[in-house]
Amino acid sequence: MGELRHLLSLYVRLLGAQVRSQGAHRTSFLLDALGSMLITAAEFAALALVLPRFGGLNGWTLGEISLLYGLAELAFVLMDLVFGGFDAPNLSAHVRAGTFSTFLLRPAPLAVQVFGSDFALRRLTRVVLAAAILAYGLTHAAVPWHPGAALLLAGCVAGMVCFFGGLFVIGGTLTFWTVESVEAMNVLTYGGRTLISYPMDIYGTWLRRTFTYLIPAGFLSYLPVLHLLGRPLPDGLPTWAALLGPLAGPLLLTAAFAFWRSGVRHYEGTGT
Amino acid sequence: MTITPAPPGGASVRPLALLALPWAVARLGFQRQFAYPQATLWGLITNTFFGLLRVAVLSALFGARPQVAGYTVQDAITFTGLTQALIAALSLFGWFDFMRVVHRGEVAGDLLRPTPLLTFWAAQDAGRAAGQFLLRGLPMLLLFGLVWDMTFAAGATAGTQTVLSVLLAWACGFLFRFLVNCAAFWSPDAVGFGRFAWAVLGLSCGFLMPLAFFPARVQALLAYTPFPSMLNTPLELWVGVKGGAAAWAALAAQLGWTAALLAACLLTLRAGLRRLEVAGG
Repeated sequence: MGELRHLLSLYVRLLGAQVRSQGAHRTSFLLDALGSMLITAAEFAALALVLPRFGGLNGWTLGEISLLYGLAELAFVLMDLVFGGFDAPNLSAHVRAGTFSTFLLRPAPLAVQVFGSDFALRRLTRVVLAAAILAYGLTHAAVPWHPGAALLLAGCVAGMVCFFGGLFVIGGTLTFWTVESVEAMNVLTYGGRTLISYPMDIYGTWLRRTFTYLIPAGFLSYLPVLHLLGRPLPDGLPTWAALLGPLAGPLLLTAAFAFWRSGVRHYEGTGT
Repeated sequence: MTITPAPPGGASVRPLALLALPWAVARLGFQRQFAYPQATLWGLITNTFFGLLRVAVLSALFGARPQVAGYTVQDAITFTGLTQALIAALSLFGWFDFMRVVHRGEVAGDLLRPTPLLTFWAAQDAGRAAGQFLLRGLPMLLLFGLVWDMTFAAGATAGTQTVLSVLLAWACGFLFRFLVNCAAFWSPDAVGFGRFAWAVLGLSCGFLMPLAFFPARVQALLAYTPFPSMLNTPLELWVGVKGGAAAWAALAAQLGWTAALLAACLLTLRAGLRRLEVAGG
């Protein structure tokens, strides 16, 4: 317990240092935070602005889509806050510059240092906006209010944080060997986030199935949201399949950290 | 970077010699795009995946409707293909190159060149844009043409207008990007200005959705900004949403915004460079 408290205080101290440095230029920080929020806002606004003209998206109302969109965005931005240090561009910069080797020399656990190495405070505005989109969805879609529903939604967010965090850790570990192919991970991380922001019945069958059974993104929020809206699951899946979302994430994250540990063992540095 | 030095100038420099350096700079900017083939391939794969998702959303929006705001679903898919093809060439996700040069103080070296600063950067970006279009734009268009049913420009006039309009969209967009980068003269941490500006650009230039799908009031508001000139106009000319006199008017609007942004860039650059001298950067 004392050990954990020590690690946590170390992590908080690392974040504090970054928060102070990021607050140094007020105007720029303010615009940066606004700009970050605007990225989410613009993407969602583009959909919200055109939807009235079309009436709906494959039978989904804006409120119902907001559930999916808000869940995916909230989880992804929270994940980006926590796991930003593992993101390939950040980690590969450390590897190339040789600063990653200094991480290894310091008398503090490596993972804690990486966790605390890229905390972008500006992303907090996106968290607020994503939560607002989710709240809009909850009030405008027919979601029955009971503790089970709240628990499932919270589980979805936690599961997705772990899922995308795991993908970031895998992408970060790959930078020990190669810098360029890491772009492939972007399809899974940013692409996966965008994919599950919309109802998956709009995709072709093979695309939907690939991202349900091969890459279990469909389990993260699409199936749980279908369940909450009282709709049948695709492919005749049983009801309990909708409750697997919160489990898929932690499994992937555990595997990702096993990969990370073996990567660190084989890490040889770039010689810089 | 190796640049053949411009021929020694003087009073008798011929116009062609004046263009030799910008041409060399543009060629280098073009060649540099071919340095990382693997990264290009992955970029193309990522673009294709996002294109696929956008096509799915647009097709689902149309449902059984034959036409919305002058677009058929085929036009909307063409729109997506063209935007995905132009992302890299027009740097729609942002551009911080000039900002970096100012922050590092390397702009002082740029000023020693016999070419005006803006001409030098425009040439470099033109070369970069051409390289990116060849590497990522054309394959994307080919892919969209093969996989989906694409709309093609109706006739030689519409085709020529589209090409002219794409060139103007690049000029307009480059000047806007350059102007935003000039914030670096006043703020030591101007990246925030940039991110803010690119977010506005993404929504307002018609990258995320064709502007014709937006409510009339939003469209009217955007008509007072240069943003539609940076992407939406050439796409409307290609798809044929705008034709005849409206097409020429749209081209004139692009030209007007390019001139206005050029003036703004020159004024801002002059003020920025004066500030640099005062600061002794």
